[in-house]
Amino acid sequence: MVRETFDRELQRLQDETLVLGSMVENAIIDSVEILKRRDMVGSRRLIAQDRDINAKRFSIEADVLILIATQQPMASDLRTLAAILDIASELERIGDYAKGIAKINLLIGEGPLMKPLIDVPRMAEKARDMLHRALEAFAQGDTDLAWAIPTEDDEVDSLYDQVYRELITYILADPRVIEQANYLLWVAHNLERAADRVTNICERVVFTVTGEVLEMDVESA
Amino acid sequence: MAKIRVEHLDFYYGSTLALSDISMDVQDRQITALIGPSGCGKSTFLRCLNRMNDTIPGVRMEGQVLLDGQDIYTSGTDVVDLRRRVGMVFQRPNPFPQSIFDNVAFGPLVLGMHKRKNLIDLVEKSLRGAALWDEVKDNLKQEALGLSLGQQQRLCIARTIAVEPEIILMDEPCSALDPIATLEIEELMNRLKENYCIVIVTHNMQQAARVSDRTGFFWLGKLVEFNDTQVIFTRPGQQLTEDYITGRAG
Repeated sequence: MVRETFDRELQRLQDETLVLGSMVENAIIDSVEILKRRDMVGSRRLIAQDRDINAKRFSIEADVLILIATQQPMASDLRTLAAILDIASELERIGDYAKGIAKINLLIGEGPLMKPLIDVPRMAEKARDMLHRALEAFAQGDTDLAWAIPTEDDEVDSLYDQVYRELITYILADPRVIEQANYLLWVAHNLERAADRVTNICERVVFTVTGEVLEMDVESA
Repeated sequence: MAKIRVEHLDFYYGSTLALSDISMDVQDRQITALIGPSGCGKSTFLRCLNRMNDTIPGVRMEGQVLLDGQDIYTSGTDVVDLRRRVGMVFQRPNPFPQSIFDNVAFGPLVLGMHKRKNLIDLVEKSLRGAALWDEVKDNLKQEALGLSLGQQQRLCIARTIAVEPEIILMDEPCSALDPIATLEIEELMNRLKENYCIVIVTHNMQQAARVSDRTGFFWLGKLVEFNDTQVIFTRPGQQLTEDYITGRAG
C-alpha cells in the first residue's frame, strides 16, 4: 500500500526545508559582501528579507504539525518530520545571524572599515559550504556526510581566533578603533555560531536515518 | 517471571499452519498490543492464551503456553477456571439479555464465589472498576441491552473483572464503538493495567501506540517483531514492521 498523499506532502516539506536552507545560505554570504561594500541599502534589504525567512520557517512548522495531526506518521516518517521542525528552527537562527551582521553594518555606518576583511569572508564561505553540504546530507539521508561535516567546524573556530587576535592587535595600537573592532568581532562571532548550528543539523540527519540522538562534538565524530 | 510465556507455538486449523514458532513473554501489570493485517493470526494467538480455540473442531497446537510458569495445555488443566483467570472481552459488546446487575453478578454466582448478600458490594466494585458505576448506579435493574454500545462494552469489562481474573484479553474491543466511547475504553484500560495483565488485539495502530507498553507485530502467522511500543513506533528494527506501520505494506 503506497501512501501517495502523505509521501507527496512529506517530499514537499523536505523540499521547502531545502528552499529555506538556500535562502539562509544566500543571506550569510550577502551579509558579509554587503559589509565589505559598505552597502547601507543592501543591509536594509537583507534585514527586511529576514522576514521572508521567518515566514518560511513558520509555514513549514505549521504544515508539519498538520501532517502529524492528520496522517499519524510513524517511525522514519515521524523522525523526518521531527527533524524538519528542528532543522527549520536552526536555519531561521542562522538567518538571524545574517540579519545581525547586516545590522552591524548599519551601526558601523558609512566610510571605510578599519581593516580589509579577509578572514571574515573566509568564515562566511566556510559556514555556507558546511550548511550546503549538511542540507545535501539531509536530502539524501547520507549519514557519512553528516558525520564528516562537524569536524570542519575547527577551521571556522581557528579563523575566529585569528580575527580576535588581529582585532586585539589593532585595539592595542589605537584604542579609538575599539567600537568598530567590537562590531567586527560580533560579525565573526555570528559566523562562528552559524557553523555550530550546522553541527546540530548534521545530528538531526543521523537521527532521521538511525533514530539515535548522538552529539557530534569532535571527539565523537 | 513473565505472567504469560509462550514458547515455540505452532497452531493448525486442520492442515493449515496459522501460527508459526511464536515465542513471547507477556508481563503482568502491562498492556501488550498485537498488531498486523487481517488474517495474520493475532486473534488466533489471543485465543490460545485461554484455550478458546479448543471450541473449534480440527485445531491442533504445538509448543507451550505458560501461565505463572504452569503449562495451560496439560491434560489436568481446569479449563473453566483458566477462563476465569484469563478473561476475554470481544469485538462486539455481548452483554446477557438481563439486567445490569445480573450481568455482573452472573459469573460469581455460577462459580459459587460469593453469597448473594455480598453481591451488591461486588457488583458496585466491578462497575466502578469498569468506570460505569456513576452512569448506572441509580437503575441497576435496567436491561443491559438498553445501554449504549460503549456502556455495554464497559459492562462486559465489569462482568469480566467480577470473577477476579488475572489477565484480560481484548479482541478489538473498540472496533464497534464511536471515537468518544473508544477513548473512554482506552482510559479504562490505563486504569485496569494497574491491577491486571492486559493483551489487546487491534487493527488501529494509533490505538496500539496510545495504550500499550509492548507491541507485537504479526505477519502471515509469524511474530515479526516484539518490543517496547515506543521503539516499535519510532524506530522498528525490522523493515517489514517499518513498512507496515508507515502504511506501505499490508
